[in-house]
Amino acid sequence: MSEALTFEHPWLLVLLPLALLPLLRGRRDTLAFPSVAWLPRDRVGQLVGWLWPLFAILAIASSILALAQPGRPQSFVQRTGTGAEILVLLDRSRSMDDRMLPANWREIDPSSLLYHTGRGRKKADVARELLSQFVAQRPDDRFSLMYFSNRPLSVVSFTQHDAVMQAGISAGVTGRGLADTEVGRALVAGIAEFDQRAYSGSRIMLLVSDGGAHLDEETRERIRIGLARNRIALYWMYLRSYNSATLDTTDDRWANAPELALHRFFQSLPTPYRAYQAEVPEDLSRAVAEVGRQQNLPLDFLEQIPRRDYSRHFIAVAAFACAMLLLYRSMLLRSWQ
Amino acid sequence: MSTSPEFHYRLPHRSGGWRPGSHPGSSLGGGQEFVSHVSIFDRPDPRRLDLRASLREVRGDWLVRVHRQRVSVPVYVVADVSASMSFGLPKSKLHVLADFVTALGHSAFRVGDALGMLAFDARERPDLFVPALLSRGVGEVMASMLTSCKGAAGGSDGLEQAVLHLAGRHGLIFLASDFHWPLDRLGGVLDLLAHCYVVPLVVWDPAEIQPPRHDGLMPLRDVESGRRSTQWLRPVTRERWHEAVERRRAELNRIFSARGIRPFFISGEFAGEALSNYFLEATA
Repeated sequence: MSEALTFEHPWLLVLLPLALLPLLRGRRDTLAFPSVAWLPRDRVGQLVGWLWPLFAILAIASSILALAQPGRPQSFVQRTGTGAEILVLLDRSRSMDDRMLPANWREIDPSSLLYHTGRGRKKADVARELLSQFVAQRPDDRFSLMYFSNRPLSVVSFTQHDAVMQAGISAGVTGRGLADTEVGRALVAGIAEFDQRAYSGSRIMLLVSDGGAHLDEETRERIRIGLARNRIALYWMYLRSYNSATLDTTDDRWANAPELALHRFFQSLPTPYRAYQAEVPEDLSRAVAEVGRQQNLPLDFLEQIPRRDYSRHFIAVAAFACAMLLLYRSMLLRSWQ
Repeated sequence: MSTSPEFHYRLPHRSGGWRPGSHPGSSLGGGQEFVSHVSIFDRPDPRRLDLRASLREVRGDWLVRVHRQRVSVPVYVVADVSASMSFGLPKSKLHVLADFVTALGHSAFRVGDALGMLAFDARERPDLFVPALLSRGVGEVMASMLTSCKGAAGGSDGLEQAVLHLAGRHGLIFLASDFHWPLDRLGGVLDLLAHCYVVPLVVWDPAEIQPPRHDGLMPLRDVESGRRSTQWLRPVTRERWHEAVERRRAELNRIFSARGIRPFFISGEFAGEALSNYFLEATA
């Protein structure tokens, strides 16, 4: 608020003297009368006679000011938060539209389990809901949101404004998921988000996904180097589907599962890595809470406050003045008849 | 051309003057009105010798009838040509005044009166001065002078200057104006003209005494001072407008009737018949 008012097109202010035009009293808009003095003094009429040039001046002046586009200039504010920079990579593949298992799935008879899996809530919905709670609980963090399926899709770049983030999260409801789960490309794109940013606090990449992928050697290398260079901690929230591998299994049956391959690759990274395996919604919320507890380091950043344009107000004033002038004009008697 | 709207006028009182005319005069001469008998030695006019009266006369003088002669009087129009007089719809007040002057020219020539004009706005207007002339076309000349003149703001100063030329003279004076100036010095002007018979012609346009029928805002500009005033015409203001007109009318009536004068109001169109009636009422 302390910033001075600036104009986008200051040269238009040259036109401002035009606002004095209504003070030049033309004879055309009046009716000649032999002697005004002998008419009764009409206070209302007198007031209207004073007001309409005022409204005309106001209309012209504020139109010119609106054209010049006044506004508070764009500025930067140094802010200190206690949170982290968190990039959420949310899986938007078709498998995320599957249901989660009910909480007591271990006690359910395996023969009717398939029925119960159709009863739970969608994984994507649960994940979105928890994420939005997570964002709401951590006002100091800076979030970025990226959906991915067969290609990454940046939705919200780093911001501290929760409303933007919440809107981004709820935007994921639209439509159904896509076919593929390209974790490698998503990770590379996520790391690139951090590339041009000054390091000002702890950085987390939160991968929310229900499946893994086999990554080729080149991608692995890029991810490894990227995470190390940008000093990013990777958290993987693994939403386990019914009939897929748990991350800590040693069973040979799952030796080739893509989830396990990914997990093993992440474990081999030099940067911090944690995996949270969630089978039921309660697991997922526990995992989210744990992430929240972990990262609470001070964080300095410059926030850009965008330019605020005030021309809208001036246009409103001009429109009001013009409306009053129209009203005046409609009440005018043009002749003696 | 339509027939010229002449009107009939006679002075209600006797007027001095030597020129024979049609107004009751105070001088003796050839007329119908008998005054007295005098000795032929006092008035050696044997044509008017009255034999029957001479026989009745005890002293045996020859008596001569003496009559009063009807006289003509100079008629002057004192015209206000200020800017406010050029207002009027569809006919400006100056045009109405010109109509009146044309009619007066015919009427005055018919009864043998000399007609002259003095004009004023803020000052006397010598360029519009017409001396009293016994001429058939003087009315038209004066009318064309009036319709082609341009006036400035009016005032009683000009009236005073113009009227000084007529002070103390006999005659008939038509004081034509819209009286849109302060009336406080009008009384003095009328006192200057005490010897004349003054007929004030109050020329008003219907547009100024009758507000427009529709309600609305009227931004008005005074043609003389340029002052502006906006009127919001509504029943209340319309009523006050009428009141203001009536007040002005009453004020004029008060000033004139204090000197035994009755003003003649013209609004819109000059009606010769109404002016004839005015004079008939005055002489009756």
